[in-house]
Amino acid sequence: MEEKEEVIKVTNLTKDYGNGRGIFDLNFTIYKGETFGFVGTNGSGKTTTIRNIMGFIKPQQGTVQVLGMDAWKDSCEIKKYVAYIPGEIAFPDLTTGISFFKAQAELLKLKNMDYANSLIKRLQLDPSANLKRMSKGMKQKTAIVAALMADKDILILDEPTTGLDPLMRETFLELIKEEKEKGKTILMSSQMFDELEATCDRVALIFDGKIIDIADINALKNSDIRAYKIEFLDKEEYKKFKRLKFKIIRDQEKYSQVTIQIEDNKINHLFKVLKNYHLKFISEVKFNLEKHFKEILAERLKGGENV
Amino acid sequence: MFSKALFKQSMKANWVKWTCVTVATCVMLAIVIIALGSLAIDNIRDSLKGVFQQADQESVLKSNSVDSYELYLTTAQFENGVEMINDSGFTELMWSIVIQPNYNDALNEYQTTNPGAELTEKALEEIKNNAVNSAYDTIISILPSVMPDADFTESELKQLLYIMMCAHEDNNSLSSAADIITAIENSYLQYVQDSAYEMYLQQEDATEETATASSLAARALASYAMESYKTQSAQEGFVYTEDTFKEEANSYVNQMIYDQVLATFNLGDDATDEEKTEAEYYAVASKVISNTAINTYELWLDEYDDTEKYPDMTEEQAKISAKEQASASLMDQIDEEVAAALKELGDMDMYGLIIGNLFYRVAGILLPMVYVIMVANGLLAGQVDSGSMAYVLSTPTKRRTVTVTQMTYLMLSLLAMFLLVTVTSVVSIWIVGGNEFTINFVEILLLNLGAFLTMFAFAGFCFMCSSIFNRSKYSMSIGGGISILMLVCTILGLFGSDVVPAAMRIGQMNFFNYLSIISLFDATSILSGGMDFLWKFGILALIGIVTFIVGVFWFEKKDLPL
Repeated sequence: MEEKEEVIKVTNLTKDYGNGRGIFDLNFTIYKGETFGFVGTNGSGKTTTIRNIMGFIKPQQGTVQVLGMDAWKDSCEIKKYVAYIPGEIAFPDLTTGISFFKAQAELLKLKNMDYANSLIKRLQLDPSANLKRMSKGMKQKTAIVAALMADKDILILDEPTTGLDPLMRETFLELIKEEKEKGKTILMSSQMFDELEATCDRVALIFDGKIIDIADINALKNSDIRAYKIEFLDKEEYKKFKRLKFKIIRDQEKYSQVTIQIEDNKINHLFKVLKNYHLKFISEVKFNLEKHFKEILAERLKGGENV
Repeated sequence: MFSKALFKQSMKANWVKWTCVTVATCVMLAIVIIALGSLAIDNIRDSLKGVFQQADQESVLKSNSVDSYELYLTTAQFENGVEMINDSGFTELMWSIVIQPNYNDALNEYQTTNPGAELTEKALEEIKNNAVNSAYDTIISILPSVMPDADFTESELKQLLYIMMCAHEDNNSLSSAADIITAIENSYLQYVQDSAYEMYLQQEDATEETATASSLAARALASYAMESYKTQSAQEGFVYTEDTFKEEANSYVNQMIYDQVLATFNLGDDATDEEKTEAEYYAVASKVISNTAINTYELWLDEYDDTEKYPDMTEEQAKISAKEQASASLMDQIDEEVAAALKELGDMDMYGLIIGNLFYRVAGILLPMVYVIMVANGLLAGQVDSGSMAYVLSTPTKRRTVTVTQMTYLMLSLLAMFLLVTVTSVVSIWIVGGNEFTINFVEILLLNLGAFLTMFAFAGFCFMCSSIFNRSKYSMSIGGGISILMLVCTILGLFGSDVVPAAMRIGQMNFFNYLSIISLFDATSILSGGMDFLWKFGILALIGIVTFIVGVFWFEKKDLPL
């Protein structure tokens, strides 16, 4: 495997807020050009991790390195390369979107506003609107423009699609894909599996402050193992099929349904077997990140009970 | 260390508050100064002061009246004795067989016991006293046979003899009865003058000049009394009684006071009717006061005569006490504490109280304090609480740059505010006119500086709280709460401090002054020309600087929930 440049490296990161809240011993690395997703329930530690990377909070243990620099100590230097959309949208005490963009540009020492203007057009944002009277979606768009306008190499996006309508969400995800094509490194958290599945190379599942699994979307999508759901017309045949040595990942006796996992090169063998059975239907079960993680979580919980 | 962009942002966010507070404070100050200046609150103070001065003058007038009255009466009593010596034959007899031999004997005796000694004042005094004692023994043995109806007390007789000895000492070769009488009278006048001099010299605040002037006045008075007595006694059917002389003495003293007061107005020929009426009014009023004093004096003397009620009181004590009662003024009649309170009210500096202590230490800093509490919170804690600080800190801006910039904004906006307040105060005082106003330009500048330093200390404190807390509600309630609490303590403490007149002062409430750093703004010291305020200013500045620095460092170290 070729040597990939590490952009964000989190090592043994711990921030304990007590009562089991916080993040514990996180380890992951995001490489250059990669889009990395964070998924997890509310309070699972996504935002805490991002705050550590942004240098807003100091790790209790472990380190966070961005481009080889310490995220806490060199916080200011790192910001030259990092753009950020905060999870909570609250703007400074300014009147309009334009004045906000100008103030941000000044802080960023950004002279050329062409890219900002093109973003405003793409997102159909009215920048002359009063900041305080903006709808949630408008605010989110404003925050997106403010973060992307400086064209930084690293984007850290904390739940960037909340409040956007479905159409705008599509536009935004397209925008992210474009940024990714430009070679940017993106860290994005979300509660929605589908948008991460659509944009990310890898997705980490955080649960109770710990990373449960990091899924490689590409590997999963392009895997030669597929899943098929089969429903039998006859219960006896269903029972007979189950005795065969196929890997059953889901079994629903009530409907005489099974879901099996099978490698592509054994598909002919499967069809030969199925010729003798009366089926109601057979369909390929598409890869689904949500399902994937749910399975892992379920296993985790079961394992937990056994111990 | 400083971000122009952020500074501009803070200015845009807070300029409305700044303008409102500045305009309101300036207008308030201008109204206070101009209102005070045009209403001339010092008039009240001046009239109170006038009352006390008048009371003092009244007391002096009364006491002088009683003194003069006493002198006049003494003279009259002496004249009673002179009636005796007006009988030429008896006088000649007295002179040749009582005064001359006794004086010469005493003189010889002194010279034999102290051979070659110089005759000093003291020696002459001793000689005279010895002569008086031996002459008294002689005269007491012969008096009933020569003057059966003579009525003298021992001291009266001895006083008379003493005066005759003095006359003899000055003119020992006199022979005619008329010359002897004149000499005795002259000695008497000298005696009155001397005793008056002694008496006045013992009074408080007396100088030799005033004592001399008073003794000369006493001599003139005695001389007048003597003339008056002679004129009256020459009339047919004149009988000396105490009451006639008291009446005479009273009306004479009243008239004398009237003339003296009228003379002080120094009315020339060109005096207007109005001036004349005024002078007349004061002269008559003084005359009435004098009459009242003398009558009161007599009433008290009668009262003290009651030996059952006042068994231990000598005549001397009775006179002193009666004079005290008679010369009591308005101030002596009211309760001592009330009098002290009223006097303090008269001496109070109303401008200092209202502008120095009430405006610059309470009312004038209330709005700036609200501004400081709100803005200091909004500059850090408010932005961290809402999350908008994330936009600043996700750009290459150091936390220290953020704090230093925000601190600079807070300080400069306060400075600008107080510069405008200073200009307002100076212009207002200039409009009102510097003369009427007891606060001068240096003092008003120092008051403004003091108010600024006080707010600087509060700004530092609120900024520190804003830096420490991530939640607006905590930053506001600790920073703002303590600030407002201190202001309230200063208001309460004002009622226990020296600037409030004793009548309104509650000493225990001074305790509140120890709870507030506004006490370090010592307006009283500034207005009374002291230097204490300087080190207190230093502490205020130090509080501001230290809290600002703590704020800057704390913000760098803490976790931000952004």
